[in-house]
Amino acid sequence: MSPQNYNFMFYGFTAAWLILILYVISIALREKKLRQELDRVKRMVEEGEQAKH
Amino acid sequence: MRLKIILTLTLIAGLILAWNLRRIFLQVPDEANQGAIFRIIYFHVPAAITSFTGFYIGMFSAVGYLIKKDLRLDSIAASINEVSLAFASITLVTGSIWGRIIWGIWWTWDPRLTSYFVCLLIYFGYFMLRRAIEDPNARARLSAVLSIFACVDIVLVWKSIEWFRTQHPGPVLEIRGGGGMAPGMEAPLWWNFLALVMLAAALILIRTRQEAMKLEIDALRRHAHAF
Amino acid sequence: MKFLRQTLAIAAKDLRSEIRGKEAVNASVSFALVILLLFSFAFDLEPEQIRDIAGGLLWLIFAFAGTLILNRSFARELVNDCLDALLASPVSGAQLFFGKCLANYVLIIIVECVSLPVFAIFYDVRLPQRLALLFLVMLLGTWGITVIGTMFSAMTVNLRLRELMLPTLIYPMLIPALIGAIQLSRVLITGGPLAENFIWFRILVAFNVIFTILALALVEIVLVG
Repeated sequence: MSPQNYNFMFYGFTAAWLILILYVISIALREKKLRQELDRVKRMVEEGEQAKH
Repeated sequence: MRLKIILTLTLIAGLILAWNLRRIFLQVPDEANQGAIFRIIYFHVPAAITSFTGFYIGMFSAVGYLIKKDLRLDSIAASINEVSLAFASITLVTGSIWGRIIWGIWWTWDPRLTSYFVCLLIYFGYFMLRRAIEDPNARARLSAVLSIFACVDIVLVWKSIEWFRTQHPGPVLEIRGGGGMAPGMEAPLWWNFLALVMLAAALILIRTRQEAMKLEIDALRRHAHAF
Repeated sequence: MKFLRQTLAIAAKDLRSEIRGKEAVNASVSFALVILLLFSFAFDLEPEQIRDIAGGLLWLIFAFAGTLILNRSFARELVNDCLDALLASPVSGAQLFFGKCLANYVLIIIVECVSLPVFAIFYDVRLPQRLALLFLVMLLGTWGITVIGTMFSAMTVNLRLRELMLPTLIYPMLIPALIGAIQLSRVLITGGPLAENFIWFRILVAFNVIFTILALALVEIVLVG
C-alpha cells in the first residue's frame, strides 16, 4: 500500500503503546509517592507514641 | 502472592502481544479497501471492548460498595474505572489516527468515536468528583451513584448519537470492510483482546493496592492527629 | 398521597423563596440574553441557515441558563444549616428531591418562555404553526435537564468547586435529551416532516422516565448516606 498508509499505521501503534506506557509510568510515580507518604506518616505515628510515653 | 499474580499476568500478556504482533504484520494480508492502516483495528477494537466492559464491571463494584459498605469495593471500582479510562483514551486516539487515513481528517464525529468521547468526558467528571471529596465514605457513595448514572446514560448516548448519524450521515469507521472478516483475520483480534484484558487486570490490581495504601495513610494520619 | 403533599410543600417553599428574591431567575434570564447577543456576533448567516440552527441554539441557551438555576437549588439550603434541618425532618430524601425538581422545572420553563420570543425577535425566526408541539418538546426536554441537574446539584452541594463541577458533570449526561430536543425543535422550526423524527420523542420520554426513577431511587443515598 502507499507509504503514507504504513506510516500512519506505525503512528497508530506507537500512539497506543505510548499511552499505555505513560499510564504505567504515572502509576509507578504514584506508587513511589504513596510509599514515601506512608513511611512518613508511620514515623509520625511512632514519634507520637514515643512522645506520649 | 499478589506481586506474583501481577507479574505472571503481565508476562503472559506481553508474550501474547509479541506473538500476535508477528502474526498481524507478517501473516494477515492487507485489507482490500483500507490497506495497511486496517491493522490498527487489532488495538482499537480490543481496547474499546476492554474499556467498555471495565466501566460496567466498575459500576457493579460500586453497587457492591453501596450494598456492603466495604471501602475495598470502592477502591476496586475506582481502579477499574481509571484503567478503563486509559484504554478508552487508546481507543479514541487509535480511532482518530485510523480516521485520518480513511477520511483524510483527524475527526468527523463518527458515532462510535463520538460516544467514546462522551464516555471519556463523563469519567473525567467522575475522577474530578472523587478528587473534590475528602471523606472516603462520602467519596465512595457519591462516585458509586455517579457511575450508575454514567453506565445507564452511556447506553442512551450511544443510541441517540447513532440515530443522529443515521439522519445526518457522516463518515463511519468500518470494521467489517464490506461483509464479514476473513477467518484468518479475526483470530488475532481476540488474542489481543485476551492480552489487553490481562494487562488491564494487572494494572487494576496495582491500582487497587495503591488505593488501599491511600486509605491506610488517611487512617494513620487521623490516628496521629488524634493525639 | 402524602408523598405528593409533602413534595408540593417543598416545591412551593422553593418557588416562594425564589419569587421573593428573584435572584436565580434574573441571573438566568440575563445570562440567556447575553448568550443570544454573543451568538449574534459569533455567526453571520442567512435567515434560511439561522432557521436550520435555531433548534440547536435554543437548547444550548436553555441548557446554559438552566444550569444557573440548578446550581442554586441545593446550594441555597447550605446557609444556616437549612439542608441539615430538611434532612432531619420527616420529609424523605426523595420528596425533597422531587419537590426541588418541580420548583426548578417551573423556574427553568419561565426562563425559557422569556427567552423564546426574544430569540424569535432577534433572529427573525418565525415561530411555527406547530407552536404547541414546540412547547411540548420544551416541556419534555426541560424535565430531562431538571432531573439530571437537580440530582447532580444534590451530589455536589458540599463541594467547594460546585459551580464549576455541575456543568462539567451534567452536560455529557444530558446529550441524549439535548440531541432529541434539538432535533425535534429543528424539525418543528424549519417545517420538516415530523413522522420520521418520532424516534426523538421516544428517546426524550425514555430518558425522562429512566432518570426520574433512577434519581428518586438513589437520591436518598446521595443526601443522607
